[in-house]
Amino acid sequence: MIEARDKKVPYLFLFPAFVGLLLFKLYPIFSAIIQSLHTRIFLGEELKFVGLNNYINLFEDPVFWNSLKVTLKFNLVINPLQIVLALLLALLLNANIKHIAIFRGINFVPVAVSVPTACILWKIMLSPEQGVVNSILVALGMNPQPFLTSSSQALGSIIAIASWKGVGYWALFLLAGLQEIPPTLYEASSIDGASRWQQFRVITYPMMKRSLTFVVVSDTVANMLLFAPMYILTSGGPNKSTNVLMLESYNSAFLYSDMGRASAILVIMVLITFIIISIESKLLKPEY
Amino acid sequence: MNRQSGSSWYIYIIHIFVALVILLPLAFALVSSFRPLNDIFKYMSPVTWKTFLPTQITCDAYVNLFRERGFGRIFFNTFYVAFVCVIFGVILGSMAAFAFAFFNFKGKNVLFLLVLITFMIPAELVAIPLYSLIDRLGWVDTYYGLIIPVIANGLVIFLYRQFFMDLPKELIESARIDGASWIGIYWDIIMPLSKPVTVSAMLLIFIQHWESFMWPLVATRSKEYRVVQVALSDFTTEYATYWNEMFATVIISVIIPVMVLLPLQRYFIQGITHTSLKE
Repeated sequence: MIEARDKKVPYLFLFPAFVGLLLFKLYPIFSAIIQSLHTRIFLGEELKFVGLNNYINLFEDPVFWNSLKVTLKFNLVINPLQIVLALLLALLLNANIKHIAIFRGINFVPVAVSVPTACILWKIMLSPEQGVVNSILVALGMNPQPFLTSSSQALGSIIAIASWKGVGYWALFLLAGLQEIPPTLYEASSIDGASRWQQFRVITYPMMKRSLTFVVVSDTVANMLLFAPMYILTSGGPNKSTNVLMLESYNSAFLYSDMGRASAILVIMVLITFIIISIESKLLKPEY
Repeated sequence: MNRQSGSSWYIYIIHIFVALVILLPLAFALVSSFRPLNDIFKYMSPVTWKTFLPTQITCDAYVNLFRERGFGRIFFNTFYVAFVCVIFGVILGSMAAFAFAFFNFKGKNVLFLLVLITFMIPAELVAIPLYSLIDRLGWVDTYYGLIIPVIANGLVIFLYRQFFMDLPKELIESARIDGASWIGIYWDIIMPLSKPVTVSAMLLIFIQHWESFMWPLVATRSKEYRVVQVALSDFTTEYATYWNEMFATVIISVIIPVMVLLPLQRYFIQGITHTSLKE
């Protein structure tokens, strides 16, 4: 480490980046907390301090409770699903077979597919009347499904679409974790007569806990705040069945111009996300 | 695992299945984007080979996107935003990392913790409160609003810092003895040595902005500043019945990152996995 004679030097190097980080990443979080305690006086520019009123109003609002329920239900399904699939895919991509580079390359393609792009592609294919998926179902002798247009299938359809795009990305991290494990460990345990499952439990799982924890936490944050599919595919419907908290917050801000309510929802979401990822990190903590 | 190759045929089958799940929807979009609109609907149901393979090929959808729907402007906006963010993101990030990697200074740990926190805060979370800020600055519906708030990137600082820490300190010490200035050391000695991490950082930033949706949606109103992801979303409501054009937008939105990512795969993977494997 170097001590600059001029003490200002390191700060000058930090300055431009930190202006951006402080002003546009951290300040908005504080401003959300402040705004959640205020309300705008009728069409005016002035803000009035209302204490916890925005929160109390939320807790009395069935729309908020529905959104909370939808968000939790969505996350309870999508996170375990994506993580298990990503882990299986990573194991598959780590297989020592010929031409594995081709499969890894194919698997990399969804990284280039943005969430809105995946949504539009699947929206057309899942179209109830003329979508190709229903045409195929009918050809196979099954009934056509309403998919995104029914309140019982919309959330599930979004989970499938988001996973089609997301699993490959998370598998990249897990694959990198797998590749850090020295192959000698497997060789030694094979000699000792360990089965595949035993090897996974005793070697693979503990050795890749770091990348697994990273994926679990990042995936949870991403899905708790997932916004684009609900905005693009269903607008929160049908019957508010996909109206997650993030969409409710966005609508509060830009449809009803109620920044206080929008910010209060954000603050609650941050708290819930924080609690969930704390539990996850605790559960995944290495025992040794 | 799976070191024996004799019993690996079933692994190939699963691999091929996964590859089809990933590629078939994109292939369907690609093929359909080159068909006349009527053909797509005519052969959609019942399913025959004509559902998937074109009988007629036309570029109408792509021509329309650029002639009628203003995709030229949309493309320009997206590239412009991504380009500015890549250049300034790399400079700002590497400068901050230079300070973290080579200097001792007061508040270093607190400031680095701040970097870590900011790169765990997703763009979606700050989009709504950030809107109030740029509204006060008068930046709604301007390039300033689209670009400036998203330039500084904690992930890029982190990436460069990891890389710089592995560089030998003697490089800097001898340059100091030769009388080089700090900015000279950063720009003429350290940055030229950091090309691999610069490629990774540029890729990450480019992809992030090519795919970014919520911030441009919130920060802009008019068509003049529309970027590709927001344009895609608008398309589903404005021109929902033009399936050939919608498929074409999907292909355009995917093809650019594919062309950039596939040859540079290695750098992208190194970039993202560095952040998850090391402290």
